[in-house]
Amino acid sequence: MATREKVVPIYVEDEMRNSYIDYSMSVIVSRALPDVRDGLKPVHRRVLVAMRELNLLHDRPFRKSAKITGDVTGNYHPHGTAAVYETMVRMAQTFSMRYPLVDGQGNFGSVDGDAPAAERYTEARLTEFAEEMLRDIERDTVNMRPNYDESREEPVVLPSAVPNLLVNGSSGIAVGMATNVPPHNLTSPCARKPTSRRSGRTARRSSSPRSPTWSARPRCSRRSPIS
Amino acid sequence: MNGPREEAATLTPAPEGHSYDARNIQVLKGLEGVRKRPAMYIGSTGQSGLHHLVYEVVDNSVDEALAGYCTEVNVIIHIDSSVTVIDNGRGIPVDLHPTQSRPAVEVVITTLHAGGKFDENSYKVSGGLHGVGVSVVNALSEWLEVEVRRGGKRYHQRYEHGEVKGDLETRGETAETGTTVVWKPDPTIFETVDYSFDTLSQRLRELAFLNKGIRITFLDERTGKKHDFQYEGGISHFVKYLNENKTVLHPSPIYHTRERDRVTVELAVQYNDGYVENVFSFVNNINTVEGGTHLIGFRAALTRTINNYAEREGLLKSLKEISLGGDDVREGLTAVVSVKLPDPQFEGQTKSKLGNTEAKGIVESVVGEGLRNYFEENPQVARKIVEKCVSTARAREAARKARDLARRKGILDSGSLPGKLADCQSTDPKECEIYLVEGDSAGGSAKMGRDRKYQAILPLKGKILNVEKASLDKMLSNEEIRTIITALGTGIDEDFNADKARYHRIIIMTDADVDGAHIRTLLLTFFFRHMKPLIERGYIYIAMPPLYRVQKGKSIHYAYDDAERDKAFEELGGKKGITLQRYKGLGEMNPDQLWSTTMDPEKRSVLQVKLEDLVEAEQMFTVLMGDQVEPRRKFIEEYADSVRNLDI
Repeated sequence: MATREKVVPIYVEDEMRNSYIDYSMSVIVSRALPDVRDGLKPVHRRVLVAMRELNLLHDRPFRKSAKITGDVTGNYHPHGTAAVYETMVRMAQTFSMRYPLVDGQGNFGSVDGDAPAAERYTEARLTEFAEEMLRDIERDTVNMRPNYDESREEPVVLPSAVPNLLVNGSSGIAVGMATNVPPHNLTSPCARKPTSRRSGRTARRSSSPRSPTWSARPRCSRRSPIS
Repeated sequence: MNGPREEAATLTPAPEGHSYDARNIQVLKGLEGVRKRPAMYIGSTGQSGLHHLVYEVVDNSVDEALAGYCTEVNVIIHIDSSVTVIDNGRGIPVDLHPTQSRPAVEVVITTLHAGGKFDENSYKVSGGLHGVGVSVVNALSEWLEVEVRRGGKRYHQRYEHGEVKGDLETRGETAETGTTVVWKPDPTIFETVDYSFDTLSQRLRELAFLNKGIRITFLDERTGKKHDFQYEGGISHFVKYLNENKTVLHPSPIYHTRERDRVTVELAVQYNDGYVENVFSFVNNINTVEGGTHLIGFRAALTRTINNYAEREGLLKSLKEISLGGDDVREGLTAVVSVKLPDPQFEGQTKSKLGNTEAKGIVESVVGEGLRNYFEENPQVARKIVEKCVSTARAREAARKARDLARRKGILDSGSLPGKLADCQSTDPKECEIYLVEGDSAGGSAKMGRDRKYQAILPLKGKILNVEKASLDKMLSNEEIRTIITALGTGIDEDFNADKARYHRIIIMTDADVDGAHIRTLLLTFFFRHMKPLIERGYIYIAMPPLYRVQKGKSIHYAYDDAERDKAFEELGGKKGITLQRYKGLGEMNPDQLWSTTMDPEKRSVLQVKLEDLVEAEQMFTVLMGDQVEPRRKFIEEYADSVRNLDI
């Protein structure tokens, strides 16, 4: 065959190195590990941003989950809607999050492992807590970057008036490294600077997320003896 | 060489005045013969011949090291494809040669079969089956310069096309000793003057391992790549290096060396918990890729010693009928066997198989004795090794059953091709290609866009199994892997036969995003671990789909990287009015677009996967895909800056 085909030789170890670095670095910096500033992985951040754009504030009516996941994937997150819906459901589950970021209407699953209803049935909107995360975002508080097709801009990180990483915690397995941050009662990190905390100690889970007990002296008096 | 026979064969009357007599018999003088028939001396005038010149000169330096006079060799490839080799040995003698009445160094460089290796006093064993000497390098070079540092002085001489240009001259004084050779291969003789860094570095690394303590540095000025090899532990260190990122059964390799009947056998063995055998054998510093009598001796001794020990210690009871076979004792084995013998006979296709019959017996007895002693002295290690072999034998039995079952059901036979495969019409493997495509969405596009005459499509679902971390029977129970094996028609493991490949081009076509990159690494791991000959034969390719589509009005440009995208912007007159599409998946393209950008053999670009440096590749797969996390993290930290395509 006389062709104008271009055959470029490449050593197997070079191809492995290049491809693997692309994959592992992407997973590390923009998939599995949260940003320390807002405690969110990109997919979480994109869900919140898309919901804010739909004006789904805590005192507004709910909207269909399918509408939200559609906007998230179409505008910011070029992956499947199923994964985005799973993420959003988890953000609404009171047993998964210390302080849920999404307020869900309908069957969002149970602690027993029952599956949530399909995205065409359920509805959702932001919680007040999530609005704190997004507060002042329109006032040029954070850097923006173009989205995947450069048709709009998305925030690199949320302004996060609350220390989300510490209160909600996070866990994720990337490549070669992983993260595991336990959740905390909102009063603990707010009462102290994070740097002054003793390493590895976690505050006792003492209150339900919906009715926080705003203790005046939270840490010393309330720490579990076995923690 | 030819002459009379050819004339007789053609039966055409010889033209007047062309008689065949003594006048036709030429004696090629000096190095003329080498220039006329280079392949006779260095094998070929391609890249391997080019490398041969480097080995030739480096081997001389290594021989100095073997004799105990040289500790360091520096090899440098220059931008103009000339090469420098520097050693700190004794330096080639410069005094007048008694019969030739020229300086000895000049005699060595300009005369074939001159050198210090023909009497056994100067050098006991010498590296290389080539042994044709630096004179051949000189003959095949555009120019060659030599500098000898010896007796407090620095001497220099230059040659061009094999001929002396000026006498040996003294150039100042020096306290050092050694030899520097610089040459530029003659581009009128060689088809290519492009060296492969990987091939050369593999060879130099081996030399450093095989010659304890010698330091070899290698610098490629064309790319700035640099290596520094020095291993105090010799082949023991080699084995450790090969096992570096694996979980080993015993911390230090079993090492044994012994000289018997003028043959030195050196052996280093260490087991890891993996599934592959990794044995390298060397004769006089040459890697005997095809094995030979010494390897047979080694294997026989290994199997017998382990079996004897296991039986004596009553460790075989759990196996019932089955005994430990050669395959069982070699799973997870990393070993280096280095033999030095005075008169090696090489045979086989690439002259890399040892033929000396006496080597088998000697190696077998030395290895047997070494292992036996070690087992007696380290019963815990011996027990661990035997236990591993026993569990391997059991797993092999289970895998055999699984395979038999699969075969009975016809799952692995190409007789019943997988339903997902869209096969091509042609049955000639030489012109057939198969695309392994990521996901059904892209599979559909590829299927509609292909040339069905000789292009087959096999869509794969999601991320395939990482076979580096899976045993054979687990791998065989994986649907996607089985589909690939069946579609390729080669069989697997013991039944593997590269000749039965149904396609001579196996093209990995994944999305141009980071998950595509991941799937690529997973597929390459499968091919490397279980179908290595396909890579060696150059059957494995990687498709290059475009990253961008740049459109303005009706004119469309496809860009394969960011530079091409920017060029397309320029051609279309700036960014204004342009629609830019960044392809995230192959499914985004229409079938005809996929055909014209990626699959059309008339226009496409493909990467052909090559395997030359087995040691380096082995390391890479172990680090990236193996079960140890720490080396992987180190690797990522080291190469984090070289990321090309970060998905955000």
